[in-house]
Formats: sequence, structure tokens, C-alpha cells
Amino acid sequence: MTLEERILALSALPGPAGFEEGAAKCISEMLAEAADEVRTDVMGNVIAVRRCGKENARRLLLDAHYDEIGFVVTGHEEGFLRFAAIGGVDARMLPAAEIRILTEPSRVGVVAAAPPHVLEKGESDKAVKMEDLFIDVGLTQEEAEKAVPVGTPAVFNAPARAFGDGYICGKALDNRASLAVIIEVLRRLKDRPLDVDLFVLASAQEELGRRGAKTAAFDIAPDWCVVLDADHAKTPDNKRHDMKKPGGGVVVSIGPNMNRKLTDKAIRLAREKGIPHQIGVEAGDSGTNAAAVQIAREGVATALLGIPVKYMHSPVETLALSDALAAADLLEALVISITEGYADA
Amino acid sequence: MLDLIKSLCALDGVCGTEEPVAAFIRAHAEKHADSVRTDVMGNVIAFKKGAKTPSKSVLLTAHIDEVGLIVTGYTDDGYLKFDEAGGIDRRVLLGKTVYIGKDRVFGVIGTRAVHLIEGKERDKIPQLWEMFIDIGAKDRDAAARRVSLGDTAVFGGEPFDLSGKLVKARALDDRVGCAVMMKLMETQLPIDCTFAFTVQEEAGTRGAFGAAFSVSPDIALVIETATSADLPSVSAHQRVTRLGQGVVIPFMDRGTVYNRELFSMLTGLAEKHSIPWQTKTRIAGGTDAAAVQRTRGGVMTAAAAVPVRNLHSPAPVAHLDDIENLYKLCALFLSEIGERY
Repeated sequence: MTLEERILALSALPGPAGFEEGAAKCISEMLAEAADEVRTDVMGNVIAVRRCGKENARRLLLDAHYDEIGFVVTGHEEGFLRFAAIGGVDARMLPAAEIRILTEPSRVGVVAAAPPHVLEKGESDKAVKMEDLFIDVGLTQEEAEKAVPVGTPAVFNAPARAFGDGYICGKALDNRASLAVIIEVLRRLKDRPLDVDLFVLASAQEELGRRGAKTAAFDIAPDWCVVLDADHAKTPDNKRHDMKKPGGGVVVSIGPNMNRKLTDKAIRLAREKGIPHQIGVEAGDSGTNAAAVQIAREGVATALLGIPVKYMHSPVETLALSDALAAADLLEALVISITEGYADA
Repeated sequence: MLDLIKSLCALDGVCGTEEPVAAFIRAHAEKHADSVRTDVMGNVIAFKKGAKTPSKSVLLTAHIDEVGLIVTGYTDDGYLKFDEAGGIDRRVLLGKTVYIGKDRVFGVIGTRAVHLIEGKERDKIPQLWEMFIDIGAKDRDAAARRVSLGDTAVFGGEPFDLSGKLVKARALDDRVGCAVMMKLMETQLPIDCTFAFTVQEEAGTRGAFGAAFSVSPDIALVIETATSADLPSVSAHQRVTRLGQGVVIPFMDRGTVYNRELFSMLTGLAEKHSIPWQTKTRIAGGTDAAAVQRTRGGVMTAAAAVPVRNLHSPAPVAHLDDIENLYKLCALFLSEIGERY
């Protein structure tokens, strides 16, 4: 499976924060191909370990959250589904959007919104509020109550695909693209002896406040951690100077949330190996799992790599495949460098 | 019928660029009608002889165009600017996919991430001129190589059914009407009948003017879709029509006061044959009837329609029973004309 194929395959899995079961199995299987052990913990995290065989070996953790933003059914009216957001959903994306409802088997519905003729003047300039939106699944009230109980999770129905000059678009590229990169690196390193125990954490519930990474980081107790997450890429409707360039390479984040030595190592490796990269400065909380992992137990030396993603938290998240490849190249180099540095430890 | 509707909805026919739909319908008409022609506007007009030539000539119409987008410019960094082709509520655009031009170039309508939008801005829908389509082009030249100005775009998304009762498809308005006419054309008709598959309805019934003029019928039936706002948040009288509640037989909309004799004939037929029907509970929308009715010295004109939720959006939804009932009522209409005239 190429990196592109893996990104597309992972994007398709349904796993809104807190309801990741639909994605966990496939991810466990992918991880099992290149790890010694794979397990799922109480929070829904999927954890894979590749042991080096040495006693008291140091631990390197690679983290990417595998949950996505989504929805949860909160009620029924005239057969339509009332729903709430899971994570940071942009309500402006919703009218006429397709939603995959995670019943067994899953079913696709459409977000219905009142047409313009019932609006007051000027209202069409305003986003429809979540409480005025319904998911239409074509059921009567009685059928809906039975077939789609309150508490049923849902995600955007938005198949990922490649397009244009090497871009990929789809739902949940935040952060399945990062997970695909980690699995890619795990496979590249498969036959290479390492002097550390290598942990991979596909973390749950990041979109609800890094809840999965918090407990998993305690549990794994790593010495180092490299977190991979989506970063905001520049879009034409955004004048901010600190947006990342799509196609400009992997983002290496620098700031108090990240261990400076590890970050410097990453930047130095990228320069030495000519890996396309860009520096992202995070003045405080990076807004990623790095913030949770860094302060686990007595502290973890943590680095943060990013893949620039346009239109984050939409059904059409867009990234440049070249940036994901650069992330894989840099992560591979970083893992090798860390493990070599501690060969004698 | 459902398969035919899905096939029709898979064809690109944004207002003004209807040829793929026209070609499909022409091929069908050449098999089943006695004569077929395409006029200067692009309307496909077929004539089929029936068991009887009534004293009043009959025209059935449905429009083949759909709402969509049209490319108006490029940005230096390779994004497309666009306008609407047909009336679209721009609240349905963000986060949607499109296919542009004959080569079906894929694009997405993005907007900056919700994290990057401050407070009140989150409730604001950007103006159309602020929106853009991302086709993954690295710069203006790369965009211009793939897409030309004036290329039209259809919405992405595959047709599917909801719980086996409803169908969601991009261009239900008015491929449903087209499908009903194509199915009628396959049958032995009780009377001679002209079928006009019209272009540019969404640009102001521009195809119907010429089609009705050249056919010059005495009686016309416009087969259409009608907006439905049958949501729990909308009060009963504002809902206009309701899915699954039968064929919409309008007495009036914003373009036309329908012929009273034909309105009564249609509602009477529905009652007599136990076909569920409804009328619009609000004077909303318009159809090709606005052009057809005022052709030459005037044409007796009626309409029959299927209610559609999310009309003029990427995800319109209709009820299969309503579609079946629309077909039945249109067939009965032709028989009744044969008896009366």
C-alpha cells in the first residue's frame, strides 16, 4: 500500500471522537503488520509496540490521533434526526451535506435546511444554526426512534480522493494522514534493528481535548515523543502570515510546548537530508496532543511535526501528498537519529 | 423509473450547457417517438402519434437544465472564482465538491478553518465573490490549462436512496419531469402528443419561449418539481409542499396563475383514481408555464410536480411514491384530454 493509498483508506474509516470503534479494528490490523503487540485501551486508544529486546530499553512514542470530528443524534422530530456536534464542527458546512449515520449497517442521510423562501430578509447572509438543522434519513418518527437511537454517532460522508497537482481531499485527513505517515515509517523501519522500544499511539478523543493522549502517555511513560498532527495551511480567504504553505513541506513546530533539543534535531536533519520543511512557531499551547504528552508524569521530551491541511474540520480537507511524504522522510530520519543517539544507554 | 432518474441525474446539464442531457434524451426519443428535432436554443422536441388526434393539440414539457456554478475568474495562486448559474442559496455551497466543464475537473469549495474564524464571523456566510473553488492547481496558469472561463460546474455526490423510500440526487429538478416524459413516450399514447425537453429554465424559462412558440399548442402540461420546506422547524403554511403527500397540482405560483379548467381536471382525476395530491400552501417558485402560457395568443397551461426538499442544492430529496403518482396522473391527463377534445 502506498502512502497515498493508505491516507485514502484511513480517511474512509468512521471514528468520531469518543466513538472510534469503527476505525480501531482496521488501524490495529495495519499496525500489527509492523509491530510486535497491538492493544486497545479503556479510552479507545490503539497502542502498538515494537520491542528492541533490551532490558529497561528507552521508549520512543510516535503519536497521531485517529478520531475525527462528527455528530451525535440527540432526538427525533417528525422522523428527522436532531443532532449535536462532536468536536469543532463548522455549522456553515452542513446544509445539504451528506452524513453517514453509524448504525449497523450504517446509513447515509442528508442535512435538510429550510429553503430561502421561509427566511426573513437578510437571513440568507447568516449561517443556519445547528438547532435549525435536521438530518433526513427518510424514516417516519416511529421508525427513526427505533432505527437510529439517541446517542448514535455520525460522520461526514465524504470519500477521499486525489486531485489536481498532487493533492488529496476528503474528511478526517486531520489526522488520519499523520497516522498513515507513522504506519509508513514503521514499515520502512521494519527490518532495521532499533535500540529503543518503539511505541505507536493512535490516540482517541483528541478533538474533545486530547483526552486519549493524556492517559496513554501516562501508561506508556515514554522518554521521547513525536506528535504528528494536521496544521493550518494557507487558503485564499486568509491573510494571516503564520499559515503554512500547502506543498511547502512538513511543518516542524517550535515553541515552549515542544522540547527544544528534539526540535532542533528535527530541523537539523531536515536541512541535512534536504527534506522540504517549514518552521511553525507556537507561542504557547500547540493545540495538539503535544500539549498533553509533554506534561505526562514528570515530563516527556516532545516534538511536533505537522502536515499542512486546508479547510480543516470540513468534508473537503485538502493536503499536498508531497507534504505527507516529507513528513514520512523526516520522521524516519528522526526515529533513526534518536535511537542511534541512545545505542549505549 | 428510479434507474432512469439516476441515469439522468448523472448527466451534466447546468443551465446553458445541457448537451449531455439533450443527447441522452434525443437517443431515447429517436427510438420511441415519430419525429425528434433540436432547436436553436437546444430544446429537444419530440412528437409521437397517439390513438387519436384531439381537437386541441397537447404539449408536455420538462426542463433538462439544472442549477450549478459558472467559472468567472482565476486567482494568482490557482483558485477559481465563480458565479451561480440558476438561483442557488449560497448557504449550501461551503464544503461541497464540484465537477467542472466537459473534462469534469474535480474541485472543492473550501473556506478557512473554523478554528481561524473569530466569534461573529462564524455566523456569516461569505459573499459569493469571496468564495472560491480549489482544483489543486499550483498557480493561475495551471488552473487555466484545466478550466476555461465560462465552464459550468455541477455539484458532486452520488445519487442514493434513503430507507428505500426517498431518493437523493443532484438534478432531480427537473430530471424527474424528464423521466416521466420519457416513460410516457415509451407507451402507446391515447392522443398525439408533443414533448418539449427545455433548456435554461433556471435562467428564466429561456428555452420554453421558443419551444412553445414553434410547437404552438392549445394545451400544455408542465411536469416539474416543487420546493418543499416540510421540516419540524417550519410552520405548516410555510412548508409549501410535503414529501410523500402526493402530486403537487399548483393553482398559482410566482410566475403563473394556472388554467382553472385544467387545474380542476387534474385534481378531479386524482380524486377519481385515488391518487394522492396536494397543492402549494404558499405562492412560491415558478415554472416554464410562465413562458408557455403567454405564447402567441395564449395557451391553456397546467403543472404537475413532485415535492423536493433541498431544491437547488447539492442534495435534493424526493419521495418515490410521489414520482410514481406523478407518472400515473400525467398518463391519466392524456387519456382525459382524448375524451374531452
